[in-house]
Amino acid sequence: MRAPEGSSDTTATASVPTVPTVRPVIQVRGLTMSYGGVGVLHGIDLDIHRGEVFALLGPNGAGKTTTVEILEGFRRRSAGEVRVLGADPERGDDAWRGRIGLVLQSWRDHRRWRVAELLTHFATYYPDPRDPDELLALVGLTGQAGRQVDRLSGGQRRRLDVALGIVGRPELLFLDEPTTGFDPEARHEFHVLVERLARDEGVTVLLTTHDLVEAERLADRIAMLVGGRIRACGTPAELARRAAAQAEVRWTADDGTPRRERTEDPSRLVWELHRDADGPIPGLEVRRPTLEDTYLHMVHREDDGLDGTAAGTGAGAGAGEAQAA
Amino acid sequence: MRGTPMTNEVSHRPARSARSARRHWRAGFLRGGIELRHLLRNPKEMSGHLSNVVVAMLVAAYVGDDVPGTGVPMAHLVIAGFAAYLLFQIGLVNLPQMLVTEREEGVLLRLRVTPGGIPAYLVAKCLLVVVVAVGTVVLLLGATALLLDGPLPDGPGGWLTLLWVTTLGLLAVVPLGAALGAVLPNPREALALIMLPVMGLLVTSGTVFPITSLPVPVQQVASVFPLKWMAQGLRAALLPDAAQAAEAAGAWELPLVALVLTVWAVLGFLLAIPLLRRAARRESGSRLTARHRAAVRSGAAST
Repeated sequence: MRAPEGSSDTTATASVPTVPTVRPVIQVRGLTMSYGGVGVLHGIDLDIHRGEVFALLGPNGAGKTTTVEILEGFRRRSAGEVRVLGADPERGDDAWRGRIGLVLQSWRDHRRWRVAELLTHFATYYPDPRDPDELLALVGLTGQAGRQVDRLSGGQRRRLDVALGIVGRPELLFLDEPTTGFDPEARHEFHVLVERLARDEGVTVLLTTHDLVEAERLADRIAMLVGGRIRACGTPAELARRAAAQAEVRWTADDGTPRRERTEDPSRLVWELHRDADGPIPGLEVRRPTLEDTYLHMVHREDDGLDGTAAGTGAGAGAGEAQAA
Repeated sequence: MRGTPMTNEVSHRPARSARSARRHWRAGFLRGGIELRHLLRNPKEMSGHLSNVVVAMLVAAYVGDDVPGTGVPMAHLVIAGFAAYLLFQIGLVNLPQMLVTEREEGVLLRLRVTPGGIPAYLVAKCLLVVVVAVGTVVLLLGATALLLDGPLPDGPGGWLTLLWVTTLGLLAVVPLGAALGAVLPNPREALALIMLPVMGLLVTSGTVFPITSLPVPVQQVASVFPLKWMAQGLRAALLPDAAQAAEAAGAWELPLVALVLTVWAVLGFLLAIPLLRRAARRESGSRLTARHRAAVRSGAAST
């Protein structure tokens, strides 16, 4: 994964040396939300920096949509402080809107329009739009330029949504379950596109997804939102390490039978195995705890009603990042 | 869209906002042009508008007599009435239906998150409605004048009346239609909710036969709504003064036509602005998803 320049420490504002006093693109402190007295978000803290791909992961009903829609300026929060691109989203004006791109999953608009026509039209709203033809090539829709929008496949439609989302050169891009219904190839191309936007153009991306593989593949950092709280936040590797699950070591014994053992310290076990065998170990395999293990652990813990100790794992706390640095 | 200026680093200078306003107007006109092109290319919608004209012509060709008590052909009264009805329908049926559909598909949300999107949308819709309305009326009057010896305004005064009644009539119904489009639930129910009262007004407003042949209480109810006055105004523009004998008051009552239509226009604007603003503000991704799910459940949309 690509790391932000300098350090991955969230608290280190000096990580972008050219702009010493850079503020996070998204800054959230103590965000709470309740509908009719029922709490949905219980004090979210987030710092998302320029050029970062940040994934918000969580089961249905965890508060992902609510969080993102507050950041997008679609909902009023109950309490807390939210700054997105330096402004309060509840007071975001047109100029602010123009710096944000949005890719939602349920868009079925402008069905009668032709692909290139739609993109060219939306370019006229922005002061410095991307070239529609280059954009079509970027999202791989050059061949569909003259096609009517409602004749596109699901994946093509979503790529068009991405093109519409970035036609105004946004600094911040919200992606809502972007690859639902994609075939593996389309998904791969989409991932390459998102990486290119973040790496080459410094676009900040906030991705909401159920898809752990996608989060792991794309995100610099992941926050796991469960029950209206951020249960863990860090790089995919850190989160995986934080899992309660142990690593699993598999190998083939001298008599040819497959063996497996769970351990906290796989390195030690492998060393011991090598020492005992005094040579190569056939079929040796070390399986690290995965992001999925962490995720399921978090969700499971919530189901049990145990309030996990989120202290130190909260976003912006920097504890996890410090370990990685 | 809230127009409140921001209190942070992106506050803009007047020159920049003038430039962006120009860009939004341009986007609106471009959008209107593109939507018009799509309409002209869509056989289903075009045939809808054209069949209205054809029905009007068939009815006009069918009625043979004169308007009772005048020497004016009944066909002329019917054509003037239909012209009023077509304007009324474009504002109060076609426009709300278009708005509700586009709301459901997410057009409104897309434009809400695009800088200047909502103003451009309104500019485009106004352009579209005006072009369609004027086009339909011109087609109706032109075709009936050529084929059925239909009525045309007599002298500059008549043309002027035609112009102002059409303009004021559109101003009376278009904002009202926009307000309806902002509150109606979904395209399927919207049509059902709108069509019944519209048809009722078509029959009771004296558009296709003299209003004096209706019971007085019905006339009084119809007088509250704009269609009666639009039709009366267009009759004033298109029919000779002798036809005034068939009016309820025995006169064209043009000042009253102007007054009632102006009141509706003001009322419509007062309703439409907050309702449209609220509709745009309420759009969000999760609402769009919820609406789509509901539409799929009711079997009205594909996934």
